[in-house]
Amino acid sequence: MSVDPYNSQVRTLFAAPMHAGIVAGGKTVLVSDQGVRVELAASAENGQLSVMRFRVWGCPHLVAAAEWVCRHYEGGPVSALEIFPTARIMEDLAVPTEKTGRILVLEDAIQSLGRSLSH
Amino acid sequence: MADALIYLDYAASTPVDARVLDRMREVADVAYANPSSTHAAGRLTHEIIAAAAAQLGGLLNVDPGTLVWTSGATESDNLAIAGGARYRAHRGKHIVTMKTEHKAVTDVFDTLAKEGFGVTWVDPDANGLLSPETFAAALRDDTQFASIMFVNNETGVIQDIEALGTICRERDILFHVDAAQAVGKLPIDLGTLPVDLLSLTGHKFYGPKGIGALYIADRPDCHVEPILFGGGQQRRIRPGTLPTDLVAGLGMAAEVAAASIESDLEHLRELRRILWDGIGGIDGVTLNGDPDGFPGILNVSIEDVEGESLLLALEPICVATGSACNSKSQEPSYVLRALGRSDMQAQSAIRFSVGRPTTLDEVEFAARSYRDAVARLRELAPGAAA
Repeated sequence: MSVDPYNSQVRTLFAAPMHAGIVAGGKTVLVSDQGVRVELAASAENGQLSVMRFRVWGCPHLVAAAEWVCRHYEGGPVSALEIFPTARIMEDLAVPTEKTGRILVLEDAIQSLGRSLSH
Repeated sequence: MADALIYLDYAASTPVDARVLDRMREVADVAYANPSSTHAAGRLTHEIIAAAAAQLGGLLNVDPGTLVWTSGATESDNLAIAGGARYRAHRGKHIVTMKTEHKAVTDVFDTLAKEGFGVTWVDPDANGLLSPETFAAALRDDTQFASIMFVNNETGVIQDIEALGTICRERDILFHVDAAQAVGKLPIDLGTLPVDLLSLTGHKFYGPKGIGALYIADRPDCHVEPILFGGGQQRRIRPGTLPTDLVAGLGMAAEVAAASIESDLEHLRELRRILWDGIGGIDGVTLNGDPDGFPGILNVSIEDVEGESLLLALEPICVATGSACNSKSQEPSYVLRALGRSDMQAQSAIRFSVGRPTTLDEVEFAARSYRDAVARLRELAPGAAA
């Protein structure tokens, strides 16, 4: 028996990833591991993430997760990038456990972006 | 059209033809008795099953008595391979198949390997074809059994069954063909084709699910040992009470196919041409399989696009990434890997499979959707080709 592998949130985020793209003049990081590629870009003003964008080569869960994190962090403090809500993403998007590694690649990208913006 | 499901997964399963459904309803109403019963109701059921065997025999040009009903191609493959190899084991325990066979075949070979059979897995060429020379080179003096599929379920590659079967006949090797994707779709004349055992299933050619058959040639030393036990039905080769309505449905599907096989093929060729014209020109597209393969299947890989995302982006078009039986696997298709495709290429593969009800509008829409989805996902990907 087949069940829908994607919940409604994954379907919505995948269908309309508003934060897909690049940030001209911002900081960009690229992490490639686990057979996926995650690029995050952001610009910050006064310690706040003013714009955040992503590009992903990966499965729908990863695309949705990248859009999710952009919505989560954009507009907030750069320092927030130090904390990555792995469990919440896995739960919200019903990410299968075998894809945990891909979400951790996204975490690596977030942490790398945080370091890049802090320097 | 954008909101409605567009079903392009006919290699996984087909809808039941209306004539088949009518016949099944008709039979279910009257033929509820056990066909093994000797009373009048049982004899009626028995006659209906015999009529279905005649219909299927007509499609394949064989004596209906050579057909054994099963629950489908998986059981037919199991019965043919396990039963055939074990039957011939006293003469030799070397068996041969291809790396691109369906799991219903490869898993049985793996099981037989654990029983002490020696297995040779033959590689196809880059187009998925097996040359007679390569096949012959894999055979040994103690080879007693070989299994090669007619039409590959992922790529549509058609093997030269006549040439391969001839080699087996010359060496008195029991030759099984998994024809799940071929029966009812390609003309098959078992009156002339050198095949000893042939597996088929109803739901791949507009018949019901849960019913299939195994052809066992009426030749000396061509036999299979049963894998199920429990009664004397079907010469003890496959015991169990037959599902009369399903058998009758398969028989009707065979009759319908026999009458429409040429027009179906012409229709499929046109659909495949339109589909390939629409997507073949996209940068980075690779055709997986033989350009002269079965026209109902078109398998393509695309560079710089992730397969699972492509599949979702193509909705509401229903296509497959690998064979449906294996589609939950995260692993790239072993069939495409055997053709020399990289993990990336195999992972991005999409199998379009069209059928009798498919319209030109549907494949044109699918081609457009594929182009749009590829463009969108490439734009989404870092470091991808523009």
